[in-house]
Amino acid sequence: MQYFPRRLRGASLVIGLVAAFATQPLLANGPIGGHVNHLQDHIGEYSEEVNRLVGQVDAMVSAYEAGGKGAVDTSELAEYWEDVNYHAAIETQFVPVYAEIWQGLFAVKGAIDEGQPMAEVRKQQDLLNAALWQGLGAVKLAAQYQQRGLLVEVQTTDTGPTTPVETLGEIKHRLDRVVAKYAEQLSDEALGIVHDTYLHLFEGVEGALIEEDAELVEDLEKDFNVTLPKSIKDGASVDAVRAVVVAMQGKLDQCKALLKAAEDNRKDVF
Amino acid sequence: MQRRQFLHALGAAGIAGGLPLSALANLAAPAAGVSVEDLPPLEGELTLYLGRGEGGLYENVLAAIEKRNPKLKLGIRRGPTAALANAIVAEAAAGVRRADVFWAVDAGAVGMVTEAGLARELPADVSAQLKPGFQYPRWSPVTGRIRTLPYNLDRLGAEQLPDDIMAFAESDLRIGWAPAYASFQSFVTAMRLLEGEEATANWLRAVQRRATSFAGELGVVMAVERGEVDVGFANHYYTLRLRAGKPEARLGLAFTRDDAGCLVNASGIMALAEGDLSINFIRYLLTREVQSYLASEAYEIPLVEGIAPPEGLPPLDTISPPELNLTRLADMRPTLQLMRSVGVL
Repeated sequence: MQYFPRRLRGASLVIGLVAAFATQPLLANGPIGGHVNHLQDHIGEYSEEVNRLVGQVDAMVSAYEAGGKGAVDTSELAEYWEDVNYHAAIETQFVPVYAEIWQGLFAVKGAIDEGQPMAEVRKQQDLLNAALWQGLGAVKLAAQYQQRGLLVEVQTTDTGPTTPVETLGEIKHRLDRVVAKYAEQLSDEALGIVHDTYLHLFEGVEGALIEEDAELVEDLEKDFNVTLPKSIKDGASVDAVRAVVVAMQGKLDQCKALLKAAEDNRKDVF
Repeated sequence: MQRRQFLHALGAAGIAGGLPLSALANLAAPAAGVSVEDLPPLEGELTLYLGRGEGGLYENVLAAIEKRNPKLKLGIRRGPTAALANAIVAEAAAGVRRADVFWAVDAGAVGMVTEAGLARELPADVSAQLKPGFQYPRWSPVTGRIRTLPYNLDRLGAEQLPDDIMAFAESDLRIGWAPAYASFQSFVTAMRLLEGEEATANWLRAVQRRATSFAGELGVVMAVERGEVDVGFANHYYTLRLRAGKPEARLGLAFTRDDAGCLVNASGIMALAEGDLSINFIRYLLTREVQSYLASEAYEIPLVEGIAPPEGLPPLDTISPPELNLTRLADMRPTLQLMRSVGVL
């Protein structure tokens, strides 16, 4: 059992968590519950839920092993996941892992529905379990930061970014949610987030960006309006969609540096 | 009445919104707006409802005003302009007023609030600073943006472009447009108000046959620059900004005459609270410093008389935008219905 995978260790996760939390006005589809602002008090509950989920999935896979796909109802996998508070905790803390959990759930479901050999089903089960434990690790770390007052409260209203640099952070966060929703097999919702993010956020900063690097903006224009929507509409794998998003996030980091430098050099109003 | 006499009369009547006489004297100067140096300090609590939509430079202006006025306690509620306008009207219906000042990014939302009778009348000297055609009794435009025709210089000369927006229905040019974009929809609203429903519907149908759609208007301008389309419909600042980032860009900028194709829309501000503070806050936004800042940094068009337009844009008085009360642009629902009915949306 791997409670805190090696890839979660180190500064990158800390930065990711703080960034994800600091720029996260978007909320889950359903009620989130106040527990997400008191993570430390609920770590035990989340741990129990992860253990229960792992057990439920294992029971289903074992039933499949014993009786084939007719012996199980794979639609219950999503219900197990949606039924736990841990779901909202990870969705509000670290969307990339949230996406991996959905990806894992559907991979297990797909392997069973397709009647794949047990080795393949177990492989997908292991990946799902890893994502679930990875998420728990992220929540535990976020709880520590929350206790130290380093994370802002989950907002119940959309306050929105106020500077171009904040806007770029929010765009990156929303792109994570595109992957999450795509992994959740909600393609229309994923496309809607892409469209809204472009029109309501990127469109507001690209004017300033194009003064700094026109080619970079053209690249991102294409990513937002062609590459990413097309990969979703074409039914590309979650990993392929994630690769597009990761590449876009890299470009957005370049944009952030450019806009910060431009802002530092901007003349005073008075 | 001469401007100097008019200001004298204002001072005598004591209705210039709390401005000191020295400031009134400075207002008499016709050149380039009032300086922030001539305005009284802002003191007290003020709640601003700020429509979101520009790239953060309004925030810089607000931060500068706060820094200059340490006794001003400015509370800001941010949100989409239309949603804030709705909130103001709803709050008033509930018998409360939370906003003292409303700064909307487009004039359409202004109309919703002024028509509800919630905006205070502005002192005449405030409106008098603005260019003719942009003076309104209960709100003040801050800066403007104009509809333009960005065109590819390698493919067209300016003389090949119609100067009548309606003539694009018969042209064989390859056109780029962004029908889902709010500014485009305001432009169609203006056309509907100026030319009528049927003419607008016919225009949309005809242009659609040769138009390539883009999500936003920067996309339109970039497509023009790449030569994918010959000409586009877009707000002016995209072309100016692309030229700034890509000086070699083969992009021209043309204007139609006296029609929706060269509509000037504006951000607008209004006072909802009684007292000098909200009015004087508005004066800060009309200073030559703020107007010049928004022109040079955001490429917006200053609407105070005497302030230079952003580089690359001809002076506003050489362009002939249509005469249209901008608050009428709030009437967007019929526009969206029309655009959907002809299949553009």
